[in-house]
Formats: sequence, C-alpha cells, structure tokens
Amino acid sequence: MITTFASQQIQSLRRQRIFVALLIALLAMTAVAGVLGWSSHNTITRVYDEAVRLLAADGKPAPPNPFLLKPSLSLLSNMVVYIPLLGALLALVLGHLSLADDEADGVGRLIFSRPVSRTHYVAGKLFAVASVLAAALAGSLLVGIGSLLVVNRAVPAITDLGRLVVFYGLSWLYLMVFALVGMIAVLMTRRTSLALLSAMGVWLVITFAVPQFTSGLRPTESLNPITNPVSTSQRFFQITAFARPYSVAEQYKAASSHILNLVTAEPVAQTIQRVLPIAVLVTSLAIVTLVLVERHDFSRSSSNE
Amino acid sequence: MSSPSSTISVNTATSTPGHRVLVIARHEYRAAVRSRILIVLLGILVVATAASVFIASAEYAGRLADYQAYRAAAEAGGVARIAPSPLAPLSLLRGAMEYLEIIGAVVAIALGYLSVSRERSNRTLPLLLSRPVTPTELAAGNLLGALGVIATLVAVTAVVAMLCVGFIGHDWLNGIQLFKLALAYVAAVAYMGVFYCVGAIAAAKSKVAITGLMIALGIWLVVVLVLPQIGDTLDADNQIPGGLFAALGLGHDGEVRILAHFTTYETIRTSIETASFAKHFERFAFAMTDVKERFRSLSLPDLFFQVRTDIAWILAYSIVLVIGLLRAFRKQPTVPQGGQQ
Amino acid sequence: MSRPAIEVRNLSHRYTTDPVLRDINLTIEQGEVFGFLGHNGAGKTTAINILTTLIAPTSGTAMVNGHDVVAERNRVTAGIGYLPAEVRMYPHMTAAENLVFFAELSGVSKPHEAVAETLEYLECSELADRRLGSFSTGMRQRIGIAQAIVHRPQVLFLDEPTAGLDPMGVRQLRETILRLNADLGMTVFMNTHLLSEVAQVCTTIGVLSHGELIYKDSIEETVRRFPDEASLEDIYARMESATP
Repeated sequence: MITTFASQQIQSLRRQRIFVALLIALLAMTAVAGVLGWSSHNTITRVYDEAVRLLAADGKPAPPNPFLLKPSLSLLSNMVVYIPLLGALLALVLGHLSLADDEADGVGRLIFSRPVSRTHYVAGKLFAVASVLAAALAGSLLVGIGSLLVVNRAVPAITDLGRLVVFYGLSWLYLMVFALVGMIAVLMTRRTSLALLSAMGVWLVITFAVPQFTSGLRPTESLNPITNPVSTSQRFFQITAFARPYSVAEQYKAASSHILNLVTAEPVAQTIQRVLPIAVLVTSLAIVTLVLVERHDFSRSSSNE
Repeated sequence: MSSPSSTISVNTATSTPGHRVLVIARHEYRAAVRSRILIVLLGILVVATAASVFIASAEYAGRLADYQAYRAAAEAGGVARIAPSPLAPLSLLRGAMEYLEIIGAVVAIALGYLSVSRERSNRTLPLLLSRPVTPTELAAGNLLGALGVIATLVAVTAVVAMLCVGFIGHDWLNGIQLFKLALAYVAAVAYMGVFYCVGAIAAAKSKVAITGLMIALGIWLVVVLVLPQIGDTLDADNQIPGGLFAALGLGHDGEVRILAHFTTYETIRTSIETASFAKHFERFAFAMTDVKERFRSLSLPDLFFQVRTDIAWILAYSIVLVIGLLRAFRKQPTVPQGGQQ
Repeated sequence: MSRPAIEVRNLSHRYTTDPVLRDINLTIEQGEVFGFLGHNGAGKTTAINILTTLIAPTSGTAMVNGHDVVAERNRVTAGIGYLPAEVRMYPHMTAAENLVFFAELSGVSKPHEAVAETLEYLECSELADRRLGSFSTGMRQRIGIAQAIVHRPQVLFLDEPTAGLDPMGVRQLRETILRLNADLGMTVFMNTHLLSEVAQVCTTIGVLSHGELIYKDSIEETVRRFPDEASLEDIYARMESATP
C-alpha cells in the first residue's frame, strides 16, 4: 500500500509543471555554478599572468600561482549556497504539493473512506518525497561531475567524488527538513496559500533570521559560500550560544564547506556533530507529520484558489 | 418576511473613479491588516531588524564611548586638531535594509498574491465588476491599499531601528541623517511596491493562483538572492579566501593596473548585478545609510549624483510593473474560464 | 419609463469553438419577473454574465435600461444588482462591513444607513455584526440579496437563487422577490431549472435549450396555450422534446 501511495505521488508530481520547472532550475543552477567555477579558474589564471608580467617589469620575482591555493572542489562551492536557496524552495513546494492536492480536491475523504492505514499513507508520501528529492539531487550531482570533467579536463579523483557524494547526501538530509515543513504547513492550515506562505516564513527564519541571532550574520552574509567568523564576544551571543548548534542553516553550510574541503579541515567528529542536529530535526519533523496526519480531519477540504 | 410596512428610500448615486479607488484601497488595507500570515511575516521582519540593529548598536556604543573618551582627553590636553568621529550611526541600519531587501520583498509578494487570490476564492470578482468598477480602478485601489500597508510596515521597522540606535548605540540621528534615512525608506516602499506588483501579476496571470505564488517566489529568488550573489562571486578579488590580489602580493595600485585588462569581464559582471532590481535598491539604501565609507563625506547633491542610475532603475521598474499590473487586471477573466454555462 | 428593462438582439456567444448562445432575441419590459428556464449547460449563466457586463458577447447587442452592455458599461452597472449562483463574500468581514463596501462601490451616498435599511427590509438586522464566515447557506443567501439591492437597482439578476436552500429558505426567497417587485418595481431576471419557482413567482418565462431561446411568453399565456398539460413541468418537457 505504501508503494501505491508513493507511485501515485511521483506520477502526479511529474505532471505538475511548476515542480518540473523548479527541478530544471536546480539543474540549471548547478550548471551555472560550474560556469562560475570555470570563470573563476580563468580569471585567476589571467590575473596571475598579468601579475607576473607586471611584477617582472618592476623587476620583482613571480609569486607562487594562487591557483594552487584553491581547493580542488571549489568549482562547485556555489552549490553550498544554491542548495539552501533554490533546493529549499523546491523541497518546500514538493512537500506542499504532496499533501495539498489531497486536501484541496477532497481526495483525502475518498482515500480514508477505504480500508487504508494513515501510517501507510504518511510512509508512502514520505517515501515519494524523499526519493524525488534524492533523484533531483542525483541529477545535480551528475551535472556537477560533468562540469568538473569539462573544466579540469580530467576525471575527478576518487576522494573528491566521495566528498561530492557525501555533500549531496547531507544536502538531501537538509532539504528533507523543508519538504517536511511544507507538508506540516499543509496539515496545520486551512488554506493552501497560507500553507505555502507559512512554510516560506519558516524557511526565511531558518535561513536569514536565526543566523543573525546565533552568529550575528547579516542576511546577505548568509549568501556567501564561506563566511568569515564574526566577533561573537558580545553578551548577546553568550545568551544565544546554546542555540548555535541548532541553527541548521549555518551548520549545513559549515559542514558542507568541510566536506568539500573548501576550508581548513576540522576533525571528522566535529563535522558529524554539526550534521547530527539536522538528522534529529528531520526525524522529529517526520514524527510530527505522522501525528498530524493521524489527527487530521480529512472530511473538511481546504479551499484551493 | 411578512412585515408589511417597511419601505425603502432610494439613495442618489454619487460615484466617481477616485472615490471607488479609495474605497477599494481602504478595503485592501483592512483585509491585509486582518490577514494573520501577513502579521506573522511582519513580526519576523521586525524582530530580525531589531536583532540586527541591536547587535550592531551594542558594538557601536563601545566604539562611540572610546571616541568620546579620546575627544575629551584631546580637548583637556588642548590638542588643536581633533579628529572627526569616524563613526556613522546610520550604517547600523545596514541589516535593517537587507531584511527589507530580502524578507520585505517576500512580504510584498504575499500581499500582491493575496489581493488577487482573495477575490478569487471569495468569488467576489463578479460582484465587484458587475458594479460601476473597472478592472483598472480595482488594480489601482489594490495597489494604493497595498502601498499603505507597506508604508505602515516600513515605518514600524524604521521606528524600531531608530530607537535601537538611540537607546543601545547611544547616538541619536540628526536632521540630515533622518532625511537620508527617510529617503532610504521611501525607496524601500517603491522596492516593495514593485514586488507587490510581481506577486499580483503572477497570481492574476495563473489559472490556479497558487502557481502564480510559486512563480513569483521563484522570480524573487533569482532577482534578490541569485543574481547579486553571482555578481559577487565573479569579483576577481573574491576568488581566493583572503583576496586574490593580496595572495599575489599586489597592493591597491597593482589591482587597479591589472583590472585595466579586465574591462570586458568587469562589464559582464556589473551587468549581471545591475540586471537585479534588488541590487539597485541595495546600492541606493546603502548610499543613504552611510554603509559604504566612500559615500560618507559626500554632500547630498553629490550623493544623489553617485546613485543616479540606481534611482533611474528603481523609477523605471516601478513604472513598468505598475503598467503591467493594470494590464494583468484588465486581462484577468472575470468569470471562471472554459465557459461556466 | 417606457424603454424595455432588457433588450437583446441577435446575441451569440462562444468561449472556444462551440457556440454557447445562438442568435438570441429577447425583450423584457420594466416591472416583469422573468424566469429563464433551461437544463444544465444550456447557456443561462453565460446570458447573465453578458447582461451584467462580466463578459462581452461574441456578436449581437444587449441593452439594459436602454444602455449597451459593452459601450456603456458604467451606466448599465449603475442600474443593476447581481446575485451569483454561489454567494461568497469576504468571510473575515461582518455582513454589514461587506455590504457597506459594495454599497460604496455603487456610489451610495449614505452607505451605513442604506445597509441598515436594507437589512431591516430583509428582516435580518441581527446578522449585521456577525462575520460572514460563520453563516449558513441560507444566511449567506440573504446577505447576498442585500448586496444585490443595497443600491436600489432597477434590474435584479438572480442566478439559480434557490440552489442549496432548504424549503423554508426557498419560500422566504420567493416572498422576497415578489416584495422587491411590488415595493420597488424592480425588474427581476432569474435563472433556474426549477419550474416550481417559475410558476409561483414569474410573470414571464423563457426557455433556453442548447443555447437557443425556444420559447418566451407570459405565464398566463403559457398555461392557456398548453391547457391539456397537467403541469408546467409537462409543458417544459414538451418544449424540450419539440426541439431537435
């Protein structure tokens, strides 16, 4: 029965133009990240050549090529930003669509007038959402590897591939947070528009407001792949410090930077410590979803405008 | 139903387009203020603004105290030339501006989306348009009401921000600073007005309004977050952590000389940035709030001259989107399409 | 006022390719209560949409109170009231707030007084300060009628007004229509597929079948012309079967 729900859901998503559009956008942004990485590569080389010429004219020795300072996966460093932005919107919409149609069209009533377990229903929906997200990210991973191949003209080292796969795995976990938020919002509101806007509000808070409280990050600073540590010595941050491990947007970005080797390495245990709250959050949100579905009144269909 | 004596007197109808627009605007304002989701989004905006200004102000208070101590000591020591304060209290509002740029735009999109979807889900469009109300009047009224909501919202964040600077940063803004701040907030109203139009147009043009909401949010994502970020990433100096030119041991002079070879590259980079409407608002707002050091010493006319293109873009976008809004409302089907017979 | 309340000449309309209305000619005099009969999908709502200026006809002309529905939209809308098939208004506003809003849009000079008077006339003043979202279908219907008459239009359009009402509600509505017609001289144009409504309320009936007006006459004349029929329902069935 779980597979019935899941396959119905996946089929229906494939026919929703808006979802397909967002998916294409995610893949396109991965390609853009590759182009930006390529352009960065080019710029550094050209600036270096110019600098060498300039320094030689002044009779100075050439400095070491800064390209060597650049981490091998930096080509895709922008993905650390695009996934929490575009990927999160995709996940929100995905979670939203997976329940909103059943709500709005009164399909829920038809489903639960049959001998169907609500646990199976939730499991089916979650399975569908999780596998669609996984497929989307796998697509993005392939595009990413493709850009690495094209730009470096060499097959990425096996460790780099491993790092990429781990990064995409973490991204999947992180995006599941928002897919679940999208689902929960549908279950907790009466109108589909309110559901989507509330889910969006949660995303805005997690991405832009919480880092402000825990680390003093201004919203545009959250857009940089690598954030410079801000002075958090103020008393204000001493109060909010306890919440920092749960600022999942920050932890995701920090963990990703380490996984992709974009910043100086930290012990693996510390990276795992960063990921753990995200996993805990996903688990609790899944339980909340299950409880809400168990209690949900499917006889009342919400208005879909 | 059988009371026989009640009679009805007929009122004389006095209806002008201006009057109807005002009636719709007032109605829009009231409906928006009663919408819980908008109140919640507003709450997020105000709390985030307060936090960012609070954090900036707390640090600022220390620096201001240091400067005042220096000044007092210098005066007591009879130093002839006392260095002017390097501090810019307005720059504490940088976070406030960024939150308007990001979250404010989402609030505006929600507002625009809701003004279209409200009439659809309540099926009031036929009721409105079977009265002497034209679609243009409806669009104008909705826009006016929304601008009222946005102005209120912006004013709330402005007051919160100023109080934070005053009480926590221990610095109160003077006349000219207040004027510049007011200009930044006027630009914020125009900026959010444009996103209101984006939300309303996308909803009016979509058969299912919520698809329109998703499209509008996608546009927001690209314009507000992705394009400026791409422009930033392409900055040659940002290629290496700590700065590419520093890594090459080149000073500012060397940077300028090398970038002379990169004019095409820089043009592309700038045009990606300028393609984003949000960046124009950001530049204008940052110039008005002394965020960029090079703007701080400029007189007002010089300041305006520096940001003239941003002003022009903000005006152009506002005009184009308002025209788009009027058109979208004129073309919106008044009855469900496909022939409800 | 001698000009007809509604005058339709060679009116046709199509949404896509299939015509929904074909070459309709129809005149309704001031003060009539006109019942527009037809099966589901016959084109009745399209006709009301055109007469209330919500959509422009593909061809032909329609005049309401002597004004063209396309060229003189504002003059037409100033003189009509409209109750759609399913009445919904702003659920978070009270009945009175909803009505004041619509009255103001119609240019009523003292909207609050007009609303109070209208609610009293319809004997539902007690609903004034309650939010519309909590209303039953019957209550919403009455506020819907108040919305349609608060600016005292000369012509009132009702689209399937009894749908979803209980028998008491239907009776109340019937009495209201008759009173509006008698007290205010309102011309009423009513879409319905229920003959019982027509027989008890209307002065004239028209029958629409597959977009064509196949019959129009006064109730008395109709009954005289089909004397051997037991009820209006039979007449309706006979007309329908007579058309190809």
